[in-house]
Amino acid sequence: MRQPSVRARRVAAASAGLVLAAGAAACGPKDNDAKGSGGDSTPHKGGTLTVLNADPTENFDPARLYTSGGGNVPSLVFRTLTTRNRENGAAGAKVVPDLATDTGRPNKDATVWTYTLKKGLKYEDGTAITSADIKYGIERSFAPELSGGAPYLRDWLVGAADYQGPYKDKKGLSAIETPDARTVVFHLDKPEGEFPYLATQTQFTPVPKAKDTGTKYAEHPVSSGPYRVVTNENNGEHIVLERNKYWSTATDAERKAYPDKVDVKSGLDSSVINQRLSASQGADAAAVTVDTNLGPAELAKVTGDKELSSRVGTGHFGQTDYIAFNPTVKPFDNVKVRQAISYAVDRSSVINAAGGSALAEAATTYLPNQKSFGYTPYDLFPAGRTGNAAKAKELLKEAGYPKGLTVTLTHSNAKNFETSPEIATAVQDALKQAGITVRLQGLEDNDYSDKIHNVKTEPGFFLTHWGADWPSGGPFLAPIFDGRQIVKDGANFNTGLLNDKSVNAEIDAINKLTDLDAAAKRWGALDKKIGEQALTVPLFHPVYKRLVGKDIRNVVISDWTGVLDISQVAVK
Amino acid sequence: MSEALVAAEAAGAGVEPVPGASGARQFWRRLRTQRAALVAAAVVALLVLVALAAPLLTALEGQDPTTYHPSLVDSARGGVPIGSFGGISGDHWLGVEPQTGRDLFARLAYGARVSLAVALAATTVQVLLGVVVGVAAALGNRWVDQLLSRAADIIVAMPLMIMALALLAIVPSSFPRPVLVALIIGFVAWGTIAKIVRAQTLTLKELDYVAAARLSGWSTWRIARRELLPGLAAPVITYAALMVPANIAIEAALSFLGVGVKPPTPSWGQMLTSANVWYQAAPQYLLLPAGALFVTVLALTVLGDGVRTALDPRAASRLRVGTGSKREAKAAAEKDVQSDVQSKVVQSKVVPSKVVQSKEVQSKEVQS
Repeated sequence: MRQPSVRARRVAAASAGLVLAAGAAACGPKDNDAKGSGGDSTPHKGGTLTVLNADPTENFDPARLYTSGGGNVPSLVFRTLTTRNRENGAAGAKVVPDLATDTGRPNKDATVWTYTLKKGLKYEDGTAITSADIKYGIERSFAPELSGGAPYLRDWLVGAADYQGPYKDKKGLSAIETPDARTVVFHLDKPEGEFPYLATQTQFTPVPKAKDTGTKYAEHPVSSGPYRVVTNENNGEHIVLERNKYWSTATDAERKAYPDKVDVKSGLDSSVINQRLSASQGADAAAVTVDTNLGPAELAKVTGDKELSSRVGTGHFGQTDYIAFNPTVKPFDNVKVRQAISYAVDRSSVINAAGGSALAEAATTYLPNQKSFGYTPYDLFPAGRTGNAAKAKELLKEAGYPKGLTVTLTHSNAKNFETSPEIATAVQDALKQAGITVRLQGLEDNDYSDKIHNVKTEPGFFLTHWGADWPSGGPFLAPIFDGRQIVKDGANFNTGLLNDKSVNAEIDAINKLTDLDAAAKRWGALDKKIGEQALTVPLFHPVYKRLVGKDIRNVVISDWTGVLDISQVAVK
Repeated sequence: MSEALVAAEAAGAGVEPVPGASGARQFWRRLRTQRAALVAAAVVALLVLVALAAPLLTALEGQDPTTYHPSLVDSARGGVPIGSFGGISGDHWLGVEPQTGRDLFARLAYGARVSLAVALAATTVQVLLGVVVGVAAALGNRWVDQLLSRAADIIVAMPLMIMALALLAIVPSSFPRPVLVALIIGFVAWGTIAKIVRAQTLTLKELDYVAAARLSGWSTWRIARRELLPGLAAPVITYAALMVPANIAIEAALSFLGVGVKPPTPSWGQMLTSANVWYQAAPQYLLLPAGALFVTVLALTVLGDGVRTALDPRAASRLRVGTGSKREAKAAAEKDVQSDVQSKVVQSKVVPSKVVQSKEVQSKEVQS
């Protein structure tokens, strides 16, 4: 169910043939070269922005997209009740109003949330957006044939657990009320102070019931944003967007929408994307990527080149790559063994394996190192930069392994520099110094994912990572450490099988808070408290380094997504 | 490959079924006249020496193949080795690996062990299986022959890499990997050698001395061992010599695809996989394993070809050992070897077309 965001997966191999052929038609010569070279860096309207991606944006239907903060390409077409603040760095991790006049008005215990729509909102056909369309859009996301979204709505809305969507159940969801055309009210099962974050997801996009075409809606969804879908070929492999003339900056303070046209080409190999961006020829000069990082070797080349390095954008997405223990498997039931491994880890060689200090930052906390997550620095088992083998040996002796021990580390064979063999061998080498012999068990990626998320097959010692659905401690700590979220048969993310009453109670208490800053502080404190149990060894937080074409202007990278925001980019 | 097959058959079709002491001497004499083969033999000897002495050599260098040296790579630049030519220094003779800082010389030397050991072991498996199945098919009754020959046909027709990938994927990871890789390469590629052995045995069986042995009441087992096996030596050695480089290439390909030996055990194919993205930033990282693989496969192929020529009576007559002009003989031999080498190098890179091969075997059988 709750997967680390799609955005977190950096490298994906796919075939490129079709996309290249389809793209040829859209790659006309640009007429603004003369204007663009004058050293004028202010953004202007016009031109065509090309997006070169590895993964296609499949199922381009607001009900089916799983996004963090409304996504990047989807957010150009789908407006939501709230959205992420389109600013650089930490300011970009805030939630701001989009279709609604504010980020939501809670009742006293945060179980009822009320939103009012702005005036003058229109679809691409000029018809008005109403609160009933918001309700209908959410109801659609419950239909089994439109699956794909995050599970929060089903978990949170009153009486939604078994709802089958508006096609089967004409009555609709009673948890969502629309007292008038501009007001929508949500009734929740339990207090959820972070509801405004959830309202950024595309399921909160208005869908006009009369225009709903079910599973075919993805081919031409009705736009509420600055662009409308002109072409959607091969399920998101090639998407062309053009201006929606009914969208207005008067009701949208967030999206800038400078280019006249956006051409999204996917299914490209990551090395091809970076090669094309660095060459910046023809239409590629006005190109960006939203899903492909610079790899270590590419970074080595780019940093040696002044012109290229000036075109690299750096971003931080809330994610932690870590070692997880299953305390029901020996010898990891012994906290001293877990602590010994925590002390022995050499984060500098792990970071080098992940691509070096430019692509990864050392992690000693489970929460990402950002304020919005409630980051509270701690280092409970200080390993220094290169590991503390002496302390680890001492702990192993106390644990009853004076001669060291042999363990098996499970990892994926996917080439992702996160849970891949490179990271595993770096851990293996570091633990060797502490007298721990590590055998590696590399699994095919799907097999690996199935094994670690099933309580029956979960290995004792493995590499994994977690990315946030929104930049807060809630979606980071609750799925992993809330004992009531242990899933016996199905996808389980509480890999440490922690079921601690005080932790569960604190999670409930923080969820009641509607002051998000106060909540962040408590998440940070809870993170430190859980850290004492040494159920994970945080290794690093990835950093995104992405090239843009040479004509690209106004690059804005928020800490929410870690990648440049397409809605802010200009090509002139 | 199909040419190797013809060569092996030709070598076996000779009139000297029992190469005794004089046969061996003659073999060396013929091999000695081929300069390319001698150079190749020297290169192979050097490689074997490096592989055997890998722990010694790396100890001399003061390194080992698995220790990380984070301080020798530039972490801020993606982990590119610090220093010129990939960080070559007195401590690291061939530089260090990007990102990890592991010593490249040590990894290459230990990688040679994996490549050579796996290839030799796989060849042994192929030869053993091929000879046993081939001889049994030729000597057994019609049903045994049918069964074993069809089994060999099936093995020959199977796409080798896909079979190997499938087998490697299902075996539990606790099984020692290099042994497994050798066994699997051996098991998926014994068909051709079995077919050669069968055809050769059928020819030998009809010869007078074998008939004489049979009439004296020798058991089939004794005939096979004492009379047939020596006659099979020439084609089997020839084919085996050409299988070794092919097996090295297969091992490298499997490692390249991530199913060969496991990290941190170094192997050339595995080094190629992680090096292929570094071709611009740290070219020596890609060139070293690629060069090592190229030289090894080339040297073994040239040597295998020399062995073939030395064992082939027709080629031997062209060499005119000890009779005609030496210079003329050399020129003929070199020309022959060079043209063969070119075709071999191309063949060893491409997965051989088994279908063509099996067709050729069949037509050969018809002719014989």
